[in-house]
Amino acid sequence: MSVSDTLNASARPAAIALRGIHKAYGRRTALDGLELDVAEGEFFCLLGPSGAGKTTTLKTVAGLEQPDSGTVELDGTDMAGVEPYDRGVAMCFESYALYPHRSAYDNLASPLRSPRHRLPASEARDRVGAIAELLGISALLDRPVGALSNGQRQRIALGRVLVRPARAFLLDEPLSHLDAKLRQSMRAELKAIGAVRRTTTLYVTHDSVEALALGDRIGVIRDGRIVQSGTREEIWYRPRDTEVARAFGRPRINLLPGTITDDGRFCAVDGAFELPVAARTAAGTEVLAGVRPRDLALGGEGHELTGTVYVTEVLGRAVEVTVRLGTQHVSLVVPRADATHLRPDDPVRLTVRPENLLLFEADRPERPGRRIGQ
Amino acid sequence: MTGRKRLWGWLADAALILYFVFALFPIAWMAILSLKPADQLFSTYFSFTPTLDAYRTVLGDSEGIPFVRFFVNSLVVSVGAVALSLVVGLPAAYASARWRFKGSENLMFTLLSFRFAPELTVIIPLFVLYQKLGLFDTYVGMVWVLQLITLPLIVWIMRSYFADLTPELEQAALLDGYTRKQAFFRVALPLVKPGIAAVSLLAFIFAWNNFVFPLILTSSQAQTVTVGALSFLGGDRPKYNLTAAAALVSVVPPLLLALTIQRYLVRGLSFGAVKS
Amino acid sequence: MPPTTSLKETDHGAASHEEGTRQVRAVPRWRRGLRPYLLIVPALLLTGGILYPFGLGLYYTLFDFSASKPQPDMVGFENYRTVFTQEAFWNSAWVTTLYAVGAAAAETVLGVGVALLLHRSTRVGRVLEKILILPLMIAPVIAAIMWKLMLQPSVGVVNHLLEPFGLGGVQWTNTPTGALLSSIAVDVWVYTPFVAVLALAGLRSLPVSPFEAAAVDGAGWWYTFRRLTLPMLWPYVLVAVIFRFMDSLKVFDIIYALTEGGPGDSTVVLQIRAYLEAIRFQRYSFGISYTVVLWAVVYLAATVLVRRLGKIQRRAAEVTE
Repeated sequence: MSVSDTLNASARPAAIALRGIHKAYGRRTALDGLELDVAEGEFFCLLGPSGAGKTTTLKTVAGLEQPDSGTVELDGTDMAGVEPYDRGVAMCFESYALYPHRSAYDNLASPLRSPRHRLPASEARDRVGAIAELLGISALLDRPVGALSNGQRQRIALGRVLVRPARAFLLDEPLSHLDAKLRQSMRAELKAIGAVRRTTTLYVTHDSVEALALGDRIGVIRDGRIVQSGTREEIWYRPRDTEVARAFGRPRINLLPGTITDDGRFCAVDGAFELPVAARTAAGTEVLAGVRPRDLALGGEGHELTGTVYVTEVLGRAVEVTVRLGTQHVSLVVPRADATHLRPDDPVRLTVRPENLLLFEADRPERPGRRIGQ
Repeated sequence: MTGRKRLWGWLADAALILYFVFALFPIAWMAILSLKPADQLFSTYFSFTPTLDAYRTVLGDSEGIPFVRFFVNSLVVSVGAVALSLVVGLPAAYASARWRFKGSENLMFTLLSFRFAPELTVIIPLFVLYQKLGLFDTYVGMVWVLQLITLPLIVWIMRSYFADLTPELEQAALLDGYTRKQAFFRVALPLVKPGIAAVSLLAFIFAWNNFVFPLILTSSQAQTVTVGALSFLGGDRPKYNLTAAAALVSVVPPLLLALTIQRYLVRGLSFGAVKS
Repeated sequence: MPPTTSLKETDHGAASHEEGTRQVRAVPRWRRGLRPYLLIVPALLLTGGILYPFGLGLYYTLFDFSASKPQPDMVGFENYRTVFTQEAFWNSAWVTTLYAVGAAAAETVLGVGVALLLHRSTRVGRVLEKILILPLMIAPVIAAIMWKLMLQPSVGVVNHLLEPFGLGGVQWTNTPTGALLSSIAVDVWVYTPFVAVLALAGLRSLPVSPFEAAAVDGAGWWYTFRRLTLPMLWPYVLVAVIFRFMDSLKVFDIIYALTEGGPGDSTVVLQIRAYLEAIRFQRYSFGISYTVVLWAVVYLAATVLVRRLGKIQRRAAEVTE
């Protein structure tokens, strides 16, 4: 909240602003009143499952799709009816959209030969060379794109975006087709590229780890609407609803069903345990108490819960322990050293700091439960 | 077991060869007929003294039938018809593949219906109309009416080629800073070039092979080889060797072109309904 | 930093600000909507150029327009009434039906057979496949000329070859039945490759897994063919059959060159009848009426067959699953 508030209050208009965008393909609604602000120079991650409208959002910003209603503003200027080539944005497509009949060099040089971004041939050569160097693809330039691997194509596609001046980069799942190792290294490289650091970037992904790693701010999109946008801390600590809470963090957040007692505490459905929550809701309300696995500890300060070990699973240096609390299971992540002695059915004492507890309405068929406490 | 299997294999090959004898014999027989001297036409079958007299006569226009002119006419009207269809059809094919707009499907199905309409429904009124307009027996008249064949083919096939091409390539070009026109000419068009080549050749073949249009809408100036070859059969004494020579000469261009576009033929023949 | 120098560097923060200040031009919505229409205008004009004579033809059928009556009178539907009461029409309709059904059926059976044989991909098959389409690329009228020379009763090569079998002297095109069968034979000669090419493409695109499963289950050739190949291949074959059936309903070239409708009226199919009426006898209105009736028949056949195709395609999809 606070970041976007200061953005809106500042004199400078948002680099990218979408207002009430509706877009339908036939009877299927792709975007349903989408609102989005990306500040100048910001790296904004748009996170959502496939079919949520991520690509449509990017293409609407680029002018490749015309919204049925709503406005797109770039640097405060309404872009209605402005052609894609006049918007000054560069886009990297999920399919890469490289020209299959051209060499890698020609693909990279394509923007610099266009009427909008034309450079003299020698300058264009230098520029393409520099970008190729930056992305480590100098040796590939003569090859036809058909002869390149996925990772190499991805770099060419990214290079085609970086090679020309742009007021915003639109990147559509640029890393999704890469294998896990390459994806991780490219993620680090991407953020280090100077142009990317400086230029407003709208980055689409379905991978929450990627969004947390890259995004200055993150927008969670679902069914054609932005459910929540904010810094990673806001998204992490103040998820708007259970679905946002579930989207981030592995193992997933524990969501424990229960009700609010008369004295304002949380009581699990089977009455096995209680939690101290700051409930602003009537007694008897069905709710979900949320606690992230890393916010539960074995021993230490905080509210205490007792249960028995159900199962343990090693995750590298940490261990995921699933503990039975009455009829419910919660998982927690603890350092390996703390868990070596644990065997199934061992009694354990868990602690949680009250400030790490989240409280949600119970999920309903029509929408996930909203956060109502902390 | 394997012996029986091998026997079936031989029988299958034999059946196949039998069909191809049926398919190729007429062409071979035309070649034989065309090489016969006139006096051995009816007295011999497979043993004769070969001569190129028939070709010399046919190509020398010496029977009062200007066959070379017919050949040139076929070339001119077929190339003209294909060129016009390409210029007019490519933008239409592109538009209907890329945009959904009112009337697009109506146009496409009207064109498709031309493929199946009895030609005479259009030709007889044109026969009357052309006499009035002075288009009877002219290249322009032939190129116009041949659109009935070439335009639906080119629009339908090219639409299927454009539809197979992801629009994201052109979108990438727009974001690279190119206009829509440039995106079409620099990206879309080069990528469907094989399709354009194949469909043009196929349209050319169909235009070349057409018979009923020139039969009714031309008389001597713009007449084509198909009608011309038939005229060797007319007259009091049919000249079989000349007819055979004319027939062979007139099938050479389509046969040569057909062998170069085999790979693309299925889509073309089925109007894009079947892709291989 | 001036933009030119910034562009030479890897980063171009300054240049991106340049972008923001550029004047942009907005294209109004209605002009964007107009774009596809501008692209199809030439095609629309040309289509109109073909539809115009068609409409003109329809209009003519309401008159008694002929060479002997260049100032025609409106006669309403008189032409159509005459068509339907003429015995010649029903004869032509019957001949056309026989021709279309016979040719399409023979080509389907033979074409699918050839495709199945070629699909085995033996060495012989691979060589022959390259020349499969030759007859299809020969103008039908030329094909008819070729066959006419071969079927000549006294000096034609076919009877000569049949002589050793005691079958010489067949009056191929000189008897009503012979003429019809000969015409169909020429049609089969030209168009069997058409069916074969489409069926072969179909065979090659069939999924492999159902056949592997059947082989594992020990299914015989006939069972596999009946239960798997045929239902999955049928949509491809049906596309070919639709094309062939509708094309042979409007056959003209082959019959014109081979029999000219003879002997007698035995091979006067509808388009030949229309030609004779309109061009030979120069009764334009009446001749066009014939083609309009044929057009209606073809249109009807197309609608029925295409609907059937949709059904069969759905069923084939089920088999694949």
